[in-house]
Amino acid sequence: MTVTADVMKDAQGSQDAPGTRGTRPIKGARPRGIALHLTLMLGVLVSLFPFYWTVVMSTHTSTEIFQFPPKLLPGSHFDDNLRHLFDSIDFFGSMLNSLIVACSVTFLVLFFDSLAAFVFAKFQFPGRRALFVMMMAIFMVPAQLSAIPQFVIMARIGWIGSLTALVVPAAANAFGIFWMRQYMKSAIHDELMDASRLDGCGFMRQYWHVALPVVRPGLAFLGIFTFMGQWNDYAWPLIALVNPDHVTLQVALSQLNGVHGTTDYGMVMTGALLALIPLLIVFAIGARQMIADLAKGAIR
Amino acid sequence: MHLSRRGLLRAGLATTAAAALGGTTAGCSVPSGSTGRDMTLWYWTGGLSDKVVAKATSRFTDVDLKPVQIGGYFRSKLLTTMAGRAYVPDITGLKGEDMASYLPDADQFVDLRTLGADKLKDQYLTWKWEQGATPDGRLIGFPIDTGPVVHFYRADVFDKAGLPTEPADVAKEMDTWENYFAAGDRLRKKIPGAFLLIDGLAVFENVINQGTQRYVDEDRHFIGDQEHVRRAWALSLEADRRGLLSDIVSGTPDGNAALEKGLLPSQIGASWAAGDLKLNVPKTKGKWRAAAMPGGYANNGGSFLAITKTCREPEQAFEIITWLLNPDNQTRGFVDASLFPSTPASFEQKAMREPDPFFGGQVTIDVIGPAAEKIPVAYNSPYDVALGQPIKDELKNVTALGKNPDRAWRDAMNKCRRIADHLGVS
Amino acid sequence: MATAPTAPVIETPGPAVTGAGAIRPKPRSILGYWRLYLAISPFYLLFLCFGLIPVGFSLYLSFHRWDGLGHMEYAGLSQYRYLLGDAQFWHSISNTLIIWAIATLPMLFIALVAAVMLNSAVRFKSVYRFAYFLPNVTSVVAIAIIFGSIFSTNFGLVNAVLQGLGLDQIAWLNTPWGIKVAIASLMTWQWTGYNAIIFLAGLQTIPGELYEAARVDGAGPVQTFFRVTVPLMRPVILFTLVVSTVTGLQSFSEPQVLLQTTSNTSTFAGGPDNAGQTMVLYFFQQTFDNNDFGYGAAIAWGIFLIVGIFSIINWRLVQRREK
Repeated sequence: MTVTADVMKDAQGSQDAPGTRGTRPIKGARPRGIALHLTLMLGVLVSLFPFYWTVVMSTHTSTEIFQFPPKLLPGSHFDDNLRHLFDSIDFFGSMLNSLIVACSVTFLVLFFDSLAAFVFAKFQFPGRRALFVMMMAIFMVPAQLSAIPQFVIMARIGWIGSLTALVVPAAANAFGIFWMRQYMKSAIHDELMDASRLDGCGFMRQYWHVALPVVRPGLAFLGIFTFMGQWNDYAWPLIALVNPDHVTLQVALSQLNGVHGTTDYGMVMTGALLALIPLLIVFAIGARQMIADLAKGAIR
Repeated sequence: MHLSRRGLLRAGLATTAAAALGGTTAGCSVPSGSTGRDMTLWYWTGGLSDKVVAKATSRFTDVDLKPVQIGGYFRSKLLTTMAGRAYVPDITGLKGEDMASYLPDADQFVDLRTLGADKLKDQYLTWKWEQGATPDGRLIGFPIDTGPVVHFYRADVFDKAGLPTEPADVAKEMDTWENYFAAGDRLRKKIPGAFLLIDGLAVFENVINQGTQRYVDEDRHFIGDQEHVRRAWALSLEADRRGLLSDIVSGTPDGNAALEKGLLPSQIGASWAAGDLKLNVPKTKGKWRAAAMPGGYANNGGSFLAITKTCREPEQAFEIITWLLNPDNQTRGFVDASLFPSTPASFEQKAMREPDPFFGGQVTIDVIGPAAEKIPVAYNSPYDVALGQPIKDELKNVTALGKNPDRAWRDAMNKCRRIADHLGVS
Repeated sequence: MATAPTAPVIETPGPAVTGAGAIRPKPRSILGYWRLYLAISPFYLLFLCFGLIPVGFSLYLSFHRWDGLGHMEYAGLSQYRYLLGDAQFWHSISNTLIIWAIATLPMLFIALVAAVMLNSAVRFKSVYRFAYFLPNVTSVVAIAIIFGSIFSTNFGLVNAVLQGLGLDQIAWLNTPWGIKVAIASLMTWQWTGYNAIIFLAGLQTIPGELYEAARVDGAGPVQTFFRVTVPLMRPVILFTLVVSTVTGLQSFSEPQVLLQTTSNTSTFAGGPDNAGQTMVLYFFQQTFDNNDFGYGAAIAWGIFLIVGIFSIINWRLVQRREK
């Protein structure tokens, strides 16, 4: 965490130093200050209202939902909706699938990306520059260009319908390598590398004992980001998971919503609500770090 | 932030190994089709009687029959799964409206004649049987039901609107499309917010289905620009002009809400559509009735079961199919799911005459039976789906969005010509 | 999430790694570097299998007719010829751009204003940041389901508000522009906070003295916003524009989930008059609804071209930022 803090300080520099904010004439502008907070609160309201609305809808029967004007306070049918939800889809099964995919991908990405990033950040070798530029070019290719062939190839090797089809192609990515490389360039000091080499550390030991401990905060961001991305991934799982009994949570949720003539709206909303909860937990844990890193990445 | 290095290493290696192992095992033994005793049966909600299916699972113990209900667009899911070569069902339903479009891919299915289907041919309606076969005679689809179209209506709402409520009277007063629309005018006046039909397609498709021609003929000629389509188009526009069509999207919660509230008290639909009503608006039980449809007789859908070529035990599968669809079980299908039998022997069975509480105790076979006898048999082309779509899309543009009808028709015809060209239809 | 949160700007690595002290091993044969190559190989291997080969294959496919089941049939350029005259494809391009515009422009403006206010608010800053960022981490599928209910004709919240104000109800999901507004507002809701956070970070690098100077010159808050904040924030605004362009041009999940219930003959329905059909949605529809793999491949190349053009424009803009 200390490294990030340092980097943050570097990035935001002296502007955060006492002078800037302190000079703002807060005292004289109290009415404006209140107006400011009211406007900001309005934004918070807009941001959070759909979540509240989901809670409200998930506690009503569909008949209640179909009434006009809409209900704005929670009702008392959450348990009914929950029961219908669990009857309709294998909620926990699909959640487990999402968890397996998101965790496997996250660990693979962290390992492969940080390893490659370490190489790109700290070593010289023939073809380094060309390989790096090629990687960044790959980053720009839209995913749907390879969607059909990927489907066909996986059909040949027999991965369609299995979680392998989701995990393997996502196991390393250009964004993560780029991100970790930027991080490692500044975070791993060359003296440290030299010292470890003098100590007789081989490449892998340098990676494990020198690089990884220093870049843990960077890994944490990449990890949370990858996890959320995988958890929310939808288009490819929708196509690749052809076995309707074996899907990820997002696909199960869309099945719930997509059945033509769905009546049980309360149940659908309950599903949406439950699908959000794990994410909100992950986010609550990592929010501070994630928001800071995200902003830093953009202003780099 | 408690990722210990050792923990990270262990977890990382474990998942890598797991992924690698998963990859190889999946590669070796992917269940394309059945694995061992498993036999998967794909159908859609209301496509078969759930009770009959449940009986089949307990009856056929040599295999593990696994019925799966597939939501969404069935044909797309089935074809994508077949292209993906994994988890292809052993037995699958094929919807009637899609049947013809499967025929070019007939080699993906087992020719049921090789399993002795011909012996059973006499028990099924001839026209229905032929729809499941390719032009060169391979039998792909085994008949589930047919789709005789009738007029479902809410007697309570019709009563309030001052319209007749007894099926015979409704059929008599609304015998033509014109008279049906006139009744709609009265309904609109008496019941604020009510519409006769949900959208233009509810008129269009039924008028098309009343004829014996669709969009492409046997010689691969596009006939969607001919009189039978123009007439259906004009009648739909007429209903729209009179304000009889709602702006609700069918199948949405909004649509179901309107059905429940009696704001869509009339529906021209096939026998199986009664099953959808029972499923989607159970609270309206007892308020519906069935009468003969306006303007003639029609067939809409009615589906098939097929055995895919990946099925490892086609004989077993065939035995299951023929049991599921024998006359006795077709009768059950009608009682349970309003699937109108394709086996004439069922028509005489007593269970068919059971009063239906959803329809206020009406014996619906009295209405559906005569409609079934007079079904006009149309030629279904593999290209009908692709070439009917632009016309339906443009119709929606007129009725729902107010597009100029002449322009919409021209646009539809242009699109059809282009698609026909692309598909090799002249 | 559709794209990486921080589409990084391409930068060519310098010859030396970090100048002084970089590790420069003694010259040795290429084989001597095997560990390094091995370490970076997973990405390139995956790319080969699931990137390069597929891209080549998709080019090959686009010259064929194939339904994914039967035999492939050589079709020459006919798929591309058909694509050029395919009104629905062009329609989907304009849909994508319109939805992108009505989502992105308000999104960036609101985000900038929110960031400026956040920057001057002293208390609860982290609470605001948390709340604003929350929509961005939620799954599009769940959110689209929720927005579908908010925009529902008969029991939706938006219509309830309209009625409360004495206005007519609107069948949002059944009119061409209504569906676009629904999709765009979903995107705006999900990405405004994200952009605000990035703007906030950018604002914190603007020296306070500049604001002091503006105030001394007698500039009001609005003038300051347009004369000081916007010009100085130009690079950051461009960055967010780049990200939202790449994301917006490839939008798929939002319209797919919102519109799939409007049709029982398509998993990738386009809604009324196909007004909600984006390019990628059309690609999926032709490929996996119609099982037209050959035509799908041609569409994918069409999309690639369009995204490519916009990427080049973006790149130019960003390059100017570097100067």
